[in-house]
Amino acid sequence: MKECGKKNFLNILMNKPFLFLLFIIFSLQVSVEEGQVNFDNDAYPFTSEIKESLFYSLLNELRCPKCQSSNLAGSNSPISNDLKREVYELVVEGKSSKQIKDHLVDRYGNFIIYNPPIEPATYALWFGPFILILLSALLIILVRKRII
Amino acid sequence: MKKIIDALPLVVFALLIIVLFSFLSDKDDQLETALIDSSFPDFNLGALSDESRLLTKRDIIKLPALINVWATWCIACRVEHPFLMKLKEESRLTIYGLNYKDNKFKALELLERDGNPFEFSIYDFEGRLAIDLGVYGAPETFFIDKNGLIRERHVGVIDERVWEEKFSKYLNE
Amino acid sequence: MIPEFGHLILIVHLILSLLGGTLPLLAVYGNYRSLEISLKKLSFMLFILITISFLSLIYSFLVDDFSVAYVAQNSNINLPVYYKLAATWGAHEGSLVLWILAMNAWLIGFIFFTHSKDKDFLSTVFSISCQVIFAFSLFTLFTSNPFERILPIPPLNGADLNPSLQDFAFTVHPPLLYFGYSGLLIPFAIAVAAILFKKDTREWASYSRPWTLLSCSFLTLGIALGSWWAYYELGWGGWWFWDPVENAAFVPWLLSVALFHSLITSQNRGVFGKWSILLSIFAFATSLLGTFLVRSGILTSVHAFALDPERGVFLLAILAFFVIGSLFIYSITDFGHVEENKYELTSKEFGFLLNNLLLVVLAISILFGTIFPLIYEAFTGGKQISVGAPYFEIILFPFALALGLLQGVALYLSWGKSSSFDFLPRLLIESLSIFSLIILILFVLFDNLYLSSFATIFLASWILMGTLQITKKRNLSYWNFLRKRLAVTFAHAGMAILIIGVGVVSSYSLEKEIILAPGDSTEFSDQTINFQSIDDLLGPNYTSKSAVVSFDDGGELSNIVTEKRTYLPSGQITTEAGIQADLFKDLYVSIGDNLQSNIWSFKVQIKPFIRWIWLGALLIAIGSFLAGVRQFKRR
Repeated sequence: MKECGKKNFLNILMNKPFLFLLFIIFSLQVSVEEGQVNFDNDAYPFTSEIKESLFYSLLNELRCPKCQSSNLAGSNSPISNDLKREVYELVVEGKSSKQIKDHLVDRYGNFIIYNPPIEPATYALWFGPFILILLSALLIILVRKRII
Repeated sequence: MKKIIDALPLVVFALLIIVLFSFLSDKDDQLETALIDSSFPDFNLGALSDESRLLTKRDIIKLPALINVWATWCIACRVEHPFLMKLKEESRLTIYGLNYKDNKFKALELLERDGNPFEFSIYDFEGRLAIDLGVYGAPETFFIDKNGLIRERHVGVIDERVWEEKFSKYLNE
Repeated sequence: MIPEFGHLILIVHLILSLLGGTLPLLAVYGNYRSLEISLKKLSFMLFILITISFLSLIYSFLVDDFSVAYVAQNSNINLPVYYKLAATWGAHEGSLVLWILAMNAWLIGFIFFTHSKDKDFLSTVFSISCQVIFAFSLFTLFTSNPFERILPIPPLNGADLNPSLQDFAFTVHPPLLYFGYSGLLIPFAIAVAAILFKKDTREWASYSRPWTLLSCSFLTLGIALGSWWAYYELGWGGWWFWDPVENAAFVPWLLSVALFHSLITSQNRGVFGKWSILLSIFAFATSLLGTFLVRSGILTSVHAFALDPERGVFLLAILAFFVIGSLFIYSITDFGHVEENKYELTSKEFGFLLNNLLLVVLAISILFGTIFPLIYEAFTGGKQISVGAPYFEIILFPFALALGLLQGVALYLSWGKSSSFDFLPRLLIESLSIFSLIILILFVLFDNLYLSSFATIFLASWILMGTLQITKKRNLSYWNFLRKRLAVTFAHAGMAILIIGVGVVSSYSLEKEIILAPGDSTEFSDQTINFQSIDDLLGPNYTSKSAVVSFDDGGELSNIVTEKRTYLPSGQITTEAGIQADLFKDLYVSIGDNLQSNIWSFKVQIKPFIRWIWLGALLIAIGSFLAGVRQFKRR
C-alpha cells in the first residue's frame, strides 16, 4: 500500500512539470536514487532512524537567519525551507552533525548555530559561570574563616 | 577590604550600565559575512536569459565585479535598480546578477522594461548558490576583486553613499 | 474628549507621584512635620487616578477611537471586543500604563497591610516607591504616550492587534508578568529604606517577605502562561526557547526565589542582612533591565515590541538612577555591628546560603549569555554569534542538579546545626522507589527508556520525597504535618512535577514533517495519522484554512483541527496548532505549506508529559502565593 502511494505521488509530480516546479518552490523535493529513499508521506524521508533524528535535532539547533529569533524547526520562511533542504541533503549524504554545522558556519558564520563554539573569545561565556561559582565558594570560605 | 567588597556591586553594575549604553549608541545592522577574503563559491546554474546555458564560476571573468542578488518580489531591489544602471553606464565595473527564487518570466520582463545592468544573471530558483554565499535575502551585493576574492558585502539597498563608503575603495586598489 | 481626559489624569498622577516621592522624605529628613501627609490617602488617590487613566484608554479601544495613535496601531473595527480590551496592554504604551497601575496596587497593599510603629520608615519606603512610579510615569508621558492623537485626519480603521497576540493566554499573560515585575518594587524600596535607617534585619525582612513571595507567584504564573502560549501559538511545539524576552523574565524570577529564601533566614535568624538588601536591589534591577533589553531594541527577539532608541536611553537612565543610587548608599553606609548568629556547615542557614549562591550565579550566567552576542560583536569587530537553547541547557544542568539535590534535603535541615543525617538513607530509598515507579510507568506508556531522562527523573523523585517526608519521625499526624507546611509542600512538589515534565518531554518527544492529501494516511510512532479534510472558514477578522487530522493509536481516535489563518487587516498569517491535550501526552499537529492544489505539509508531534511543566509551575505559584498570604496572617 505504501509503495503504491509513493509511486502515485511521484508520478503526479513527474508528469506535470508545473506541479513539479511548485513542489520545488517549497523546497521539499526529494532526490530519488534507486530505492535508496523510502518515500511514503514523509516530507523528509530517511533510510535510517539515526539520520532522521540527526536531521530533526539539527533543525532545533540551527537558527533561521531571516527571522529575528527562531530555529529552523520553528520557521516556514522560504530561506528556512532552503536551509532545511540543504541540511536534509547533507544528512542523506551521510555527513556528521559537526560536518553539517561547519558547512553552514562556513557560509553564514557562527550566527547560524545556537550553540556557540568554544574559542578564546567565548571562554568567558563557557567558563564564566563555573569560575564565578568557584570565586563565590572561595569568598564564603574566607568569610567563614574570618579572613575578611 | 570590607569597603572594597561593599563597593563591588556598585562598580560592577555601573560597568554594566556603561556597556549597555555603548551598545545602545552604536547599533549596526550589517550582518557578518563569513566569506570575506575567500574565493567565490563554485556553482552550476542556468542563465536567466536562457536556462539551457549553464553558468559556472569560470564565467565570471570580468573582474573586479559586483554580484547583485535581486528578485522581482523584492521591492528594495527596484529602489536600487537605477543606481545599478548608473554604475553600468559609467562603466565603473561589471555587475553580475543573481536572480534569487524568482519567476523567470517576470524577471526577464523587468529587465526588458527597466534596463539590464547585469553582464548576465544567474538563475538561482532554488536558492542554492545563495546558500553557498550566505545570502539572507534580497537585495544583497558582493564585491569580487580582481583575484576573484569576495572582499565586501552589503545587505540592503546599494546607493551612491554605500558605494562610496564600502565599495569604491576596493576599486582603486 | 475621553483620551484628553485620560491624558490629563495621567499628568495629575505624575504630579501627585512626585509629591509622594518628595514630601514624606522632607517630613522625615528635613523635619518639616507640617508636610506629613496620610500615606494611605495618597496611595489610594494615586491608584484611583491611574485606574481612571487606564479605563479611559480601554474606553478608547472599545469605541474604536482611531484618532488615538495607539488605538489605531493596535486595534481594528473587526477585532472581537474581548481582544479590543486586551489590546489595551498588547503593545508598549498601554503595557506601561498597566505596569504603573500594578506598581500603585502593590504600594496600596504595602501601606494598608504593613503594621509598623516606625512611621518614618514607612514614609521612606512610600517615597522611594513613589519616585519609581514617578519615573515610569515620566517615561510614559514623554516617550510613550498612549493618548497621542492623530489629528486632524484620523484613520478610518486601525492596523489591528498583532494576530499572534489575539489569544486567551496572551491576554492574561502580560498583566500577570507586569504584576510580578512591578511587585519587586516593594522589596526594593524596603531594602533602600532599611539601608537608610540601618534597620534591624529581622524587622525589615518580615516587611519584605510577603511581597517578594507574592511577586514571585505572579512571575511564575506569567512565565508559565507565556510558555504555554508559545507552545501552541508559535506552531513548532517548543515550550521554552531561551529567547531574550523569556530570559528577561526568568532572571528576575530566579532572583526573587533566591530573595525570599534569603529573607526567611534573615527574618528567623537575623543573618544575611546585607545580602538580602543586595538581592532586593538586584531583583528589582533585573526586572527593569529585562524591560530595557526587550524594549530598547538592542536585542532582537520574536516577541517584538515597537523599538525606539530614545526609550532605551530613558529606561537606562531610570535604571542607572535608582540602582546605582541605592548601591552607592549601600557602599558608603557603615552598618556597624551586625547581629551574628553562628551556624554550622550542616545548618539550614548554610543550605540557604548555597541555594542563594547557585541561584544568583545561574541568574548572572543567563543574563550574561543573553547579552553576550553584543559583547562578542564589540570585541571581535563585527563577528556575530548566537547563544541559544543548547548553550543555556548545558549551563543550566549542573546548577539544576546541585539545586535539586539541595532542595531534597533542605526541609530536613535545622537552624544553627543539623544534629543527625540519618534521614539520608531513608530519603535515598524512598526516592529510588519512586524513581523506579516513574520509569516503569514511562516504559509501560511509551515502550521505551531513555537514559538521558534518568538524571532529571531521579532528581524530581528526590525533591518530591524530600518535600513529602513520608517516613520522617514526628509527633503530629502526617496530614496535620503536611497541612502546617502546605505552602512549601505545594511549591517544592510543584518543582518536582515540573522537573519530571521537563525530563520526559525533552527525551520522549517525537516530531516529523509529513506531506498529505485529504484521505491520505501515514504512520507516526504508534499512531496512524489521517488527513480527513480541509475547509475554508471565516472568522470575525480572519479567513482560515482549517484542516482536520485524525490520530489513531488503534484504540482511540482523535480528530484534531489545525488552522492557517490569514488576518484580514494586516494580511498576517498565523498557524493555529491543533492539540489533543492529555495528562500523559499531547498529540500536536500544525499545518504547514500548501504544496499543490490540496496537498499540504504538516508537522506532527507527540509531547509526553508536557502538561506537567505547567502543572508544576501552577503549584509553585499557588505555594508561593499561600506562603505570601500566610505572612500577613502571622502578624
